[in-house]
Amino acid sequence: MNDHTTLEEAKQVCPTTTRRLVSEGALLLDVRERTEVASLAFDAPAIVNIPLFELEQRWSELPKDREIVLVCESGERSLKATYYLQFQGFTHVSNMEGGLLKWMRKGFPVIGKRYEAPAAAATSSCCGGPASVASSAGCCAPSSTKE
Amino acid sequence: MKEIKVLGTGCANCKSTIALIDQVAKAKGVEVKLEKVEELRDIMGYGFMSTPGVVIDGKVVHAGGVPGRDKIEQWLTA
Repeated sequence: MNDHTTLEEAKQVCPTTTRRLVSEGALLLDVRERTEVASLAFDAPAIVNIPLFELEQRWSELPKDREIVLVCESGERSLKATYYLQFQGFTHVSNMEGGLLKWMRKGFPVIGKRYEAPAAAATSSCCGGPASVASSAGCCAPSSTKE
Repeated sequence: MKEIKVLGTGCANCKSTIALIDQVAKAKGVEVKLEKVEELRDIMGYGFMSTPGVVIDGKVVHAGGVPGRDKIEQWLTA
């Protein structure tokens, strides 16, 4: 099996930066399960779904010369996947922190029925500060949806 | 002395793996240096997705699930 490789700290981007990167040609890689994607998906022009458990077998399908932003529900699975791709030699990869939950709190478009995630919403804000600060700042606009 | 690293982000299986290795090492009277690696970046530097992972003297010997007692005994006596 493999020897250890020292990986660089993963690049983390927010949903706003992610949208800009996508508009500039980046690919979104959603590592959630297919059932999760079927019920609620990111509405973005260039997106592929490779569930995390399939990534070891399928990473070679991805382009190494294109910017890739990895996404999931909360940003945890996609961070793991980001490091895995870095291990495989990908240099143009970044993780979208906060995942789909933060994407929706920003009011960015999704496809499917929106659901609430009270636990995540209560413990953090879309602005990165305490939830109380976020609500007073009014940055957590409701997301637009397509059903 | 064997240097053993157990890689995992703190899941129950990771804790069981550490406990089992420690138990087998004591039972066999084998001196080991047992270390937990919980930082995701360090774990992913070994290039596998499934945890817990076990690294002995720098080589990955196991990835995914709690290893069996027989397997651990083999590692410690090799």
